[in-house]
Amino acid sequence: MSIKNMTKEKNWSGQKLVSTDYLLFEAPREKHFMTGSEVLKEAIKRCTVDASVSYPITPQSEAAHLIGELWAEGYVGLYFRGENEFGVMSEVQGCAMAGARTVTTTSGPGTLRAMENFPTWSGTRIPCQLILMARGINSPLTIQPDNLEVSFLLETGCMIWYAENVQELFDMSIAAFTVAEKPDVHVPIITAVDGFFVSHTREAVMLPADDIALHPYDPYAAPLPPIDSEMPPGRFLRDPFVMKSNYISYATHASWQWEVRSAVDRSRPYAKHFLKGLVHITGDENAEVAFVACGTAAHQAKEAQRELTKLGVKSKVIKLRTIRPFPHEELLEAVQGVKYIFVPEFNVVGWLDKEVSTALYGKCDAKIIGRPRVAGGMSMPAEAILKEVFENTDLKQGA
Amino acid sequence: MSVDIYKINPEFRDIMPQEIIDLEDNATWAGESVEKRGISDLTDKKEILEEHSLCAGCPEAAALRYILAALPLPEETIIVNSTGCTSLMFPHIALHTVHSMFGNQNAVASGIKRTLDWRFPDKTKDVVVLAGDGATIDIGLDYTLQSFFRQEKITTICFDNEVYANTGGQESGSTPKGQVFKMAPKGKVFDKVPMWELAVTSGCAYSVKLTASAPKKVAKVIREAIFIAREIGPTYIHLYTPCILEIGLAANEGLWEMKEQDKDRFADFKYVSPEAEEHLKKCKKEGLL
Amino acid sequence: MAKDSIKIRMPALGGQGAVTAAHIAATAADTVGYYAVSNPFFGAEKRMAPSESYTRIGTVPIYDRGEVIYPDIVMIYHPQVITMGKSYTMPFYAGIKENGLVIINSEHDLLTDVDKEFLDSMNVKVLTRDFTKFAIDIAGTELATNMAMLGALFGALGVIDKPAIEEGIKDRFLKKYTASGGTATLDSVIEKKFKKKLDLIEKNLETASAAYDLTAEWAKEVGLEPMLESVSMVDGERVI
Repeated sequence: MSIKNMTKEKNWSGQKLVSTDYLLFEAPREKHFMTGSEVLKEAIKRCTVDASVSYPITPQSEAAHLIGELWAEGYVGLYFRGENEFGVMSEVQGCAMAGARTVTTTSGPGTLRAMENFPTWSGTRIPCQLILMARGINSPLTIQPDNLEVSFLLETGCMIWYAENVQELFDMSIAAFTVAEKPDVHVPIITAVDGFFVSHTREAVMLPADDIALHPYDPYAAPLPPIDSEMPPGRFLRDPFVMKSNYISYATHASWQWEVRSAVDRSRPYAKHFLKGLVHITGDENAEVAFVACGTAAHQAKEAQRELTKLGVKSKVIKLRTIRPFPHEELLEAVQGVKYIFVPEFNVVGWLDKEVSTALYGKCDAKIIGRPRVAGGMSMPAEAILKEVFENTDLKQGA
Repeated sequence: MSVDIYKINPEFRDIMPQEIIDLEDNATWAGESVEKRGISDLTDKKEILEEHSLCAGCPEAAALRYILAALPLPEETIIVNSTGCTSLMFPHIALHTVHSMFGNQNAVASGIKRTLDWRFPDKTKDVVVLAGDGATIDIGLDYTLQSFFRQEKITTICFDNEVYANTGGQESGSTPKGQVFKMAPKGKVFDKVPMWELAVTSGCAYSVKLTASAPKKVAKVIREAIFIAREIGPTYIHLYTPCILEIGLAANEGLWEMKEQDKDRFADFKYVSPEAEEHLKKCKKEGLL
Repeated sequence: MAKDSIKIRMPALGGQGAVTAAHIAATAADTVGYYAVSNPFFGAEKRMAPSESYTRIGTVPIYDRGEVIYPDIVMIYHPQVITMGKSYTMPFYAGIKENGLVIINSEHDLLTDVDKEFLDSMNVKVLTRDFTKFAIDIAGTELATNMAMLGALFGALGVIDKPAIEEGIKDRFLKKYTASGGTATLDSVIEKKFKKKLDLIEKNLETASAAYDLTAEWAKEVGLEPMLESVSMVDGERVI
C-alpha cells in the first residue's frame, strides 16, 4: 500500500473520492446492526486517514484495534501501538505536524495521562481527531461510563463534540475531519461518546457504501506550514518564545491563546452545516419543561420525555451536539417560554449544568435544575428523571 | 523541493538582512555544493545558525555548530528538540525544527518520521532528535527507549552536561555518583546512568559516547549515525557538553574540560551492529563518508 | 516631589550580579524601615545574555509584583544593554516616569539625540560613568561593578545611608543564601579572590562608598530632587 497509488479520483485503497456533503447527505445508505466501536471502524474507513496511533484502555481498546485492521486492510496509511497515552498523543502530534490526517482514541485515566498534549495540540493548530470514549476517573477505579473527564478538557482549546448514539458517532467522526481541517479553523477536535452505552451497544445504523471516501487532507492549505521540509519553515509556534525575549513571549502567548479560541468559534457555521445544527430539539412545542443534555443523557431524556407525555406533561429535549464551541444562541432560542430546565448528567460535578447556567444567566427566567446526576458508571433510567421532575416542579402527573 | 524553499523572492532581496542573503549565497546546502559540506565550512561559509542566547563559551553551542555543519542533507533534515538549555538555540536554526514538550521528543519524532516516509516514499528525509540528558534519560526515558524498541529510523543525540542546567543546577540521572548539585546536597547517591549501553540493549544499530572536544570527530559520528538510521535502525549519540556555569569554569575553559574527560568518564565507546557495519562500508565505497 | 514609593529596573547581562544588587538594595531599604520588595526577571539566566532585576522601595506597603514596566529609576549595568539591544525593553528607558533617573555604566555617552530629547522632556536626569573602573580600581575585580552601581543608586536617592548598605551587603554575603547555579558559581569565584570574607565585605563597601559620594555630588550639581520620601525607625516602629 502506498500513497503513490492515489489519483485525483481515487485514494490509495481504490475508494472513489467524494465530497463530505455527498458522503454524509447524498450517498444512498443501507441498514446495518453494529456497536459504536464497529461503526467507528466504518467511519474511519471512509475518511482517507493517513495515520493512527493506538493504546488500549477499556472501553476504547476494541475501536483502537479495529483501526489497526483498517491499516492491515490498506485503508489507513500508517498505524502502530504507542507506549502509553502520553506517548501516543505526542506521536499523534508528530504525525499531524508532518501533514497527516490523524485519528486516535482514549478514555478516562488515559485522557488524564495524556493531558499535557491537548493544549499543545490546539496551540500548534493541528487538526487531528480524538475519539473520546468517556469512562470514569480514578480513584476509586471504575471502567464504566462517567464523563467527568470532559470537564478537564473544556479549556484545552480543542473543539469538543458529543455523539449521542452509534449513528451519530459515525456521522460526527466523518464531519469532524472536514470541519477541523478548514483553514480558518484548523484546531484539534475531540469527538466524545459514552463508553459502553455506545461503544459496546449494538443498534441499527444507516451506512453509505464503503467504496467511497473523503478527499485527502491538504496540509498546504493549513494556516501554518507542515513540518516536512517542503515549504519554508514557519516555526512560529513550534518555537519556545521565552528563549528570545520575555516580552515577545508574553505578547505571543496571550494573543495566541485568544486566536485558538477564536478559531474554535469560527467553526460554528461549518459545524452547523455538517451536523445539521449545533443543537437538536425533539418533543413538545409548547413545553414547560426542557432537558438540556448531551450524549447518552440526551437519549435517557428522550425516554423520559415520552413518559411525561403519557402523564400529561409537555416537555422537550434540547440535545447539544457541540460543547466547544458552546451553542449559546441556539440554546437561548430553544428555552424561550420554558419554566424548568433540567440538566441530566453522568458525573458528580455537573459540568454541563455550569455551562448552561453561565450561558443563560440574566437572559432566561427558567429555573435551572442540575439533576439527575448519576456517577461512577451507573445507568440513568427514565424513572430517575421523572422523579426529579415531579419533586422539583409544581407539575402534577395526569394534569 | 529542497534548497529552493530557502531562496529569497527576488522582489524582496534589497530589503533582506545580510544573514538571510548569506544563507542563500554562501551556505553549504548539500544539493548545491560541489564539495561535500563539513567542518571546514565553519571558517568562511554562512552557518545554518544565527546567534544564540546561551552562555558565552557554552560547549553545547559549539557542538550544535559542528552538527549543523556536518548534516549530510540539511535541507531535508528535521530536528526535534526538547525543553532545556538546548532549546535556547533552536529558534535560531534555519531548518524545520520542532520544540516538543519535555521528554516526548522521541515520540514526536517517531510520528514525524513515519508520516514523512508515508507521504514521501521516494525522498530521503532525515529526522534527528537533539535533547539534553534530562529530557533523554530522565523524564523521557520511556519514550526514548520505546522508540528504540520500535526500531524508529531516527538519530537521537543527547547533549550530556550531567545536570539540569536550565532550571538552575539540579542533579540528573546522568550526574556522576557523589557529585553535589541541587536536590543532592549530600552528593548523588546512584551511578551515572549508562545511556549509551541502554541504547544498545534497547535496539540501536549504532551507539557512540564521546565529548565535543574534536569537531571533525563529532562530524564523522553524525554522518555515520544518520546514514545508518536511514536504512538500518535507530542510532544514538551521547555527547559530553559540560555546563561551564554549573561546574564553575570560565568561558574559555570548556574545551579543556572536554579534553580532560576524553580520558576519563567520556573515553570512547562505540557500538556498531553487523548490519550497520556493512552499511557503513557501502557508504564509504560510495564516497559518502 | 518625593514619592511614597519608587520602582527600580536594572537591565544587566547575566553574570554581573544585578539580581544580587536588587536584593541588597531591598535589604538595605528594609533595614532602615522602608517597605521593600526585590525580584529577578522571570526567565533563564545565561552568561552575557540579558538579565534584569527589580527593586521597589516605599513608605507604604508595596503590592505591585512582577517585572517593572513603569520605572522611576533605570540602571544600565553594561553598555551592551544599549549598544547590542540586550534588553527586554526598547528603548531601554521605555516606561520611565517623569522626574526619573537613569544611571548608565559606560565609559562613553551612549544616548542618541532622540533619547536625550525625550528624557529631557520628562525631566529625567542621566548619569553616565565608568562604574566598572571603580570596581577594578578599588576592589580589583569587575565583578564588583554591581557594588558601584548600588552606591550610585543610594547616592542619588540620599535617603538610605552607608550603614544600611553595609547591612545589606553583610546579609547577602555572610548569611546562608539560596542561589541558582550561576550565582553560586560566581559567589565562589569572588570568595576565592579574598582571603577572608570580611575583606570581601570591606572592598565591596569601599567600592559602593566611592560611587555613593560621586553620585551624591553629581546629584547636587544637576539639581536632582529627592525622589523618595524619607523614613526612620523609632523603637522598632516606622516614622514617616
